[in-house]
Amino acid sequence: MAINKNSNAYIIIYTVVMVVIVGALLAFLATSLKDKQAANVLNEKKVSIMKAFGSAEENFDDVVTMGRIVDGAFVEVNKEDKAAVDAMFADLADLKGLTASENEFPIFKYEKDGVTKYVAPMAGKGLWGDIWGYVSLNVVDQKVQISGIVMDHAGETPGLGAEIATEIWQKKFEGKVLYNAEGEFAVRMQKGGAQNDHQVDAITGGTKTCDGVNAMLANSIGKYKSFLDTLTAAVAEDTTSEEQAQEPVAEDVNVEPTKVEEE
Amino acid sequence: MKLSKNFTNPLAANNPVIVQILGICSALAVTVKLEPAFVMGLSVTFVTAFSNLVMSLMRNGVPSRIRIIVQLVVIATLVIVVDQFLRAFMYDVSKQLSVYVGLIITNCIVMGRVEAFALGNKPWDSFVDGVANGLGYAFILVLVAFFRELFGSGTLFGFDVIARFGYVNNSLMLFPPMALIIVGVIIWVHRSINKDLQEK
Repeated sequence: MAINKNSNAYIIIYTVVMVVIVGALLAFLATSLKDKQAANVLNEKKVSIMKAFGSAEENFDDVVTMGRIVDGAFVEVNKEDKAAVDAMFADLADLKGLTASENEFPIFKYEKDGVTKYVAPMAGKGLWGDIWGYVSLNVVDQKVQISGIVMDHAGETPGLGAEIATEIWQKKFEGKVLYNAEGEFAVRMQKGGAQNDHQVDAITGGTKTCDGVNAMLANSIGKYKSFLDTLTAAVAEDTTSEEQAQEPVAEDVNVEPTKVEEE
Repeated sequence: MKLSKNFTNPLAANNPVIVQILGICSALAVTVKLEPAFVMGLSVTFVTAFSNLVMSLMRNGVPSRIRIIVQLVVIATLVIVVDQFLRAFMYDVSKQLSVYVGLIITNCIVMGRVEAFALGNKPWDSFVDGVANGLGYAFILVLVAFFRELFGSGTLFGFDVIARFGYVNNSLMLFPPMALIIVGVIIWVHRSINKDLQEK
């Protein structure tokens, strides 16, 4: 008996069989490659964080302490707790939903030769799509500075906005002081070139992306303000107590600016 | 004889990109650097080859009323296979290719070859036809990417080639319109050589 290939029954059976086969095949493939893919994504984030620390040659797992900011203080995350560790690398876009009251932002700590640096994740919007990155912060002369930054983007214009992902532009952020004398967040990409030690030269033709970067920096780093304040205060106390022992006169000079920053 | 013609035709005289003007979208998008262009070319070759093979094997059983849907399912499956493998084993490249791997599904070359060739030919011939068309596409992609990367970034496969001689990168080369112009120039050269392609 010849099969009528254009009968409805044949078509339905044909489709069902085909879809079941294809579905099973793809499900199998996705499951077997899932771990490898997840490892790639995670590894990329770890490499970015090490780049932000300015020490890309070192292995993340060996040198970085992971933690969260709880009530303005660094609380270490147990490395054995897999769920907690995974949450540290949660999609940066999710950070946008966090509010300061939730108060538990992920942060990465790196100590070497007496210098402590902290890396915070950032996420924002560029001109065409998402932008994200990691910023490394440390305290120099009682001021919080950017010690390194890594940024990437989903689809900014090549040669213009996309320049934020290049090392050349990211280098320009190094050593920029976060807060001005009034205690306001002052790091921004400035049209017409950097005017002071807070500003970074903006990208010609990439103004909208630069605006996005400015917003991302202010929003993302802003979430860590309470922590950064305690950090500078702690450093200031260390310095003052040391200097008090040697030279009590220095006290006034050192305490003043710290108070301003705490407000 | 026929087989070798099957293979060489799509590479030059009947090249899918510069003669049939198919697959232009991705040719403009992924040719900023050689490496992604190369991987994209191989991915498309894989998809055209195996979609042709699979559809040729199925050609006597496919109900003609739903054959386009069946083709899409086969092509989409192969594209997902490629995408998953790239994500697992060539993560950096897969990031650069971003959505364009998924968009191989809509690449007219793939469906065009299945519809025009695989449904009426034996599996092996179809497979060869798929490989040849994929390579024809890949060849143009790599050629365009060669010029764009060389003059846009001063590098080839990421290695510094002319930047060290004080070459200032021409960022115009990095924009899609420049890819269109390069494809246009290739078509021009190709038609000047193959006079039979010129319209009267």
